[in-house]
Amino acid sequence: MGPLTLITFLPALGAAAIGLLPADNHKAIRWTAAAFTLAVLLISVMLIPQFSQTHTGINDVDGFQFVEKADWIPAFNISYFVGVDGLSFPMLLLTALLCFICIFVSWGIKKGVKGYFALFLLLETGMMGAFVSLDFFLFYVFWEIMLLPMYFLIGIWGGPRRVYAAIKFFIYTLVGSVLMLLVMLAFYFNVKDPVTGANTFNMLAMMDQANHSPWLNLFNVRVLLFFGLYIGFAIKVPVFPFHTWLPDAHVEAPTAISVILAGVLLKMGTYGLLRISFPILPDATHTFAWFLALMGAVNIIYGALCAMAQKDLKKLVAYSSISHMGYVMLGMASLTAAGINGAVFQMFNHGTVTAMLFILVGVIYDRAHHREINRFGGLANIMPKYMGISAVAFFAALGLPGMSAFISEAMVFLGAFPVFQVYTIIGISGIIITAGYVLWTVQRMFFGEGLKDEKYKGMSMEQIRVHLPEINGRELFTLIPLAAIVIYLGIWPHPVLGMMNASLVHLVELVKAAPVVTAGLF
Amino acid sequence: MEAFFFLLLAVVSIFSGLMVILQKSPVASVLFLVLTLVCVAALFVMLSAPFIAAIQVIIYAGAIMVLFLFVLMLLNLQRFTEGAWSRFQITGVVVAAVLAVVTALLLRAVPLPADSGFLRETPGLGSVEAVGLSLFTEYLLPFEIASFLLLAGIIGAVILSRRRP
Amino acid sequence: MDLSRFNLITIATPLVLGAGVLLVMLVDLLSGRANRRPAQLAALAVVLAAAAVCLATWNTGGVSFFGQVSGDGFASFFNLIFLAVAFLVILAGPAYLERNAIHFGEYYSLVLVSVMGMAFMAAGTNLLVIFLGLETMSLALYVLAGFNPARQSSNEASLKYLLLGSFATGFLVFGIALVYGQIGSTDLARFSAYLAGAGDPFAGYMGAGVALLLIGLTFKMAVVPFHFWSPDVYDGAPTVVSAFMSAAPKAAAFAAALRIFYAPAESLGLPWERILWILAALTMTVGNLSALNQASIKRMLAYSSVAHAGYLLLGILAGNELGAAGILFYLASYVFMNVGAFTVAWMVNRRGEGRYDLGDFAQLGFRRPLLAAMMSVFMLGLIGIPPLAGFFGKLYVFTAAVQAGYVWLVVIAVLNSAVSVFYYLRVMVIMYMRENEALKDVDRIPATFAAVAACALMVILLGLIPGSVLDVARAAVASMP
Repeated sequence: MGPLTLITFLPALGAAAIGLLPADNHKAIRWTAAAFTLAVLLISVMLIPQFSQTHTGINDVDGFQFVEKADWIPAFNISYFVGVDGLSFPMLLLTALLCFICIFVSWGIKKGVKGYFALFLLLETGMMGAFVSLDFFLFYVFWEIMLLPMYFLIGIWGGPRRVYAAIKFFIYTLVGSVLMLLVMLAFYFNVKDPVTGANTFNMLAMMDQANHSPWLNLFNVRVLLFFGLYIGFAIKVPVFPFHTWLPDAHVEAPTAISVILAGVLLKMGTYGLLRISFPILPDATHTFAWFLALMGAVNIIYGALCAMAQKDLKKLVAYSSISHMGYVMLGMASLTAAGINGAVFQMFNHGTVTAMLFILVGVIYDRAHHREINRFGGLANIMPKYMGISAVAFFAALGLPGMSAFISEAMVFLGAFPVFQVYTIIGISGIIITAGYVLWTVQRMFFGEGLKDEKYKGMSMEQIRVHLPEINGRELFTLIPLAAIVIYLGIWPHPVLGMMNASLVHLVELVKAAPVVTAGLF
Repeated sequence: MEAFFFLLLAVVSIFSGLMVILQKSPVASVLFLVLTLVCVAALFVMLSAPFIAAIQVIIYAGAIMVLFLFVLMLLNLQRFTEGAWSRFQITGVVVAAVLAVVTALLLRAVPLPADSGFLRETPGLGSVEAVGLSLFTEYLLPFEIASFLLLAGIIGAVILSRRRP
Repeated sequence: MDLSRFNLITIATPLVLGAGVLLVMLVDLLSGRANRRPAQLAALAVVLAAAAVCLATWNTGGVSFFGQVSGDGFASFFNLIFLAVAFLVILAGPAYLERNAIHFGEYYSLVLVSVMGMAFMAAGTNLLVIFLGLETMSLALYVLAGFNPARQSSNEASLKYLLLGSFATGFLVFGIALVYGQIGSTDLARFSAYLAGAGDPFAGYMGAGVALLLIGLTFKMAVVPFHFWSPDVYDGAPTVVSAFMSAAPKAAAFAAALRIFYAPAESLGLPWERILWILAALTMTVGNLSALNQASIKRMLAYSSVAHAGYLLLGILAGNELGAAGILFYLASYVFMNVGAFTVAWMVNRRGEGRYDLGDFAQLGFRRPLLAAMMSVFMLGLIGIPPLAGFFGKLYVFTAAVQAGYVWLVVIAVLNSAVSVFYYLRVMVIMYMRENEALKDVDRIPATFAAVAACALMVILLGLIPGSVLDVARAAVASMP
């Protein structure tokens, strides 16, 4: 059993272990969950030194690392085929880190503790599995495994409108999965394994254009499949106009689930595009890169404008996610080394930064029991430590130099500008809006004359501090590692960039080598 | 001659079959059912299956129908009273008429196969010996399954006739 | 006389069941008026013995009894499905029967008789045996549907099933007669050989004969437009019986259909394909759309089982080995999901027999977490979420249909599966997310709970080892003569 299998199935084992614990022993349940996620994190971190930065991966089986392969359903050529390359490894690290942190963010869950942590660990298995799968079928199975725990976690432990949000999330995602399933079957029936000659779900075999059937080589067909996959993944990212589930889901979800949703699940969409659509349909990708860039630009502006209009702090962060995922879209559409490196780096950075933001929202919500920005004010005096750590998160979200997000956004714009000048300029203007809403929010919440809330009228500072106590040790423990990573990577981004560069450059070359087809379409 | 008898029996059996469901008095219905079964028995005779014909008369027309009559008379049922035709009855008649037309058209379109000569080639097909032999060799298994079918029927009768709690 | 023509190995499993029926009746008779436990235990023992015999004689009996039956792997596979269902409903049943004061020993003998009939449907290589098996099964089911004489709806279900079922049987018999008239035999080998021969396979009586056979079988499968009985009957029948009826007879009808139509599938040609195409598309669409708006869990499950018959028809239509093996796998997983769901439905029902409201499930996730989790497994399995067994059943059958060139029908089927999410998901929403309506607690019935747990385990297990089970199913299909 290799490390990737261990990473993938340890959480599921943990879920089973939690299932055996008595339901009222909350302490044992929490610590079991923490132990299993910590084990996963440690194994992932121990893989870093072994991870070769020169291996390519993507469509080259020798370029993958820690590969494991075994037959699962031989009748359909479905195998348990896992491995990582520079694209998936950073995502794997991000997932391991956020899951560990989120256990502590969820420490205060009171209702159905056993079910919550068991589902949470199951969710981690789904995410890990999806990131390491190299067999399309396996990927699809893990993709669906992610869906269910998420649905329950929102629907049971969420806010007042949780049922609506959960069903909306489920239905959107399921529509995406159905499209993906149809495209997957279309690939399966039109790709022959070069060795055995049988149909296969192996992604790497699908990436070799020589294995495609004549039908699959028809450009119109490829465009159709490309957009089928695009919608499936765009719902997850989410790209405008498939984004409407996201604000609902985020607002209703408990804090830790929002963190996972924004930190990992949204990346699943862009990861899927890069892992599946780009290398299997490089010509369609190359031809329609402008479309991805356009949608990226739209996302940046639309998300930022919506964020500006929000009164609810959590909704604001949710819309800022939409905006930030736009940078990823724009970067990967550019098909330049800088752009695509920036895009994947942005995926990683957005994961850490948004995680911080959602945790911070959760911290203040636990104390004030509301999230309306306009009812706060002067928090800098009341909770100075909270203010300090929030400043790091908000400035990182804004893309301040010295923070990791600045580097990835700069790389995206550098890469995209020569290719899509108009879209890039539109995207850059999004930064101004972002700066606007972030600074405005900081100003309204932390500065000013004090709390604009009837409840606290006439109270002295000491009395207010009883209601709004300073951020505690457990909460700091969840935030400080993230803040450290954000600042460290902002100064020295090489550890992550170095991991992914070789693979992503290879991916760009692969897609660029495919022709842009304009004639004969439609 | 054969054709004449066949037609006669066919017409009589269909007519009496219709009367079974059209008669208002249950006793009359049962008597028409007896007539139908006798006609079918006669058809079996024409197919040179005298044993089956005899069984048909003895078991169905004889035993079962007598039992029916017996029960009916014991229960002393009144004539069924009927109201106006319901929506379902009208629909039923329309559907039946359409089906009849379709069947007639199909029969015209598909030529019926010629006589296969199957019966004439195997004399004694319907004799007691032949029926007995085939029942205890080739059709032994279906014969035995049928016995379990009857068992299920008996259990069912017991259950359904159980006194209501 | 050559006794080797009567190879009892070929019918070993139904033979044990037949003897078991008599044994159970005897035990019930001897064990006094009020005590039904001995009959139940005897029935369980009979089922286990039959299963052991089935495994021991797996694919060992060839064609026997003058070509009437074949004790091949195909029959063995289906026998195991039927026996599993029988075991579950016999294990789970007493609590329900006690609750409704209808705990009679005949329940057990009727279940066993009907399973015996199913075994002959799966093993028959002669239309006559299949017909007799079907009748034996149906007769027992008619009675089981009316097993609660005190309730009008149960009587209605029984009568409705009997009347419509007799019609369907009439069609089947007429079809067999027409086939006999054309080829002078009811033997299935002769039937396929005739169809494969030169010339129009549907000349003479054959076209009408095949059509009538199809109608007779699709009635038992509850395929649109012959499905009208199923919601009323499943709804009116005692729920343990509904669990049994929605699972095993459907499997038996598909077994018979494969026996009859698998070998000559290729020679049936275009009209056959068109008819099945339309039937499959109609069945899944009508089933799913009707299920959307049901307030009663029993009716919802009834319509969902109509929809599943539609998906299964894809496997028949595909006519290839994978399609047939896919049907076997699909049914093996489907029966557990359906039996489990129906059983949970009556376990949580607190408003009396007449009202199976979905609201019964409110807060079940917190009142009885494990039961709710298992119900979720059944619902998700019926949706076809990987990695549960239901997903692989659909995958196999749909893949087979694509291989046979029915791409659009598969697209319709996949979209239908997406529609089905709405009503299956609703049960889960109610279990976990609807506020408590101050319902009485659900009884703790260990035996019934064990039966449900076994169903859930099977649904998960079949999803983890779908490849090896498919291999067994393939071997079973290949073993058909």
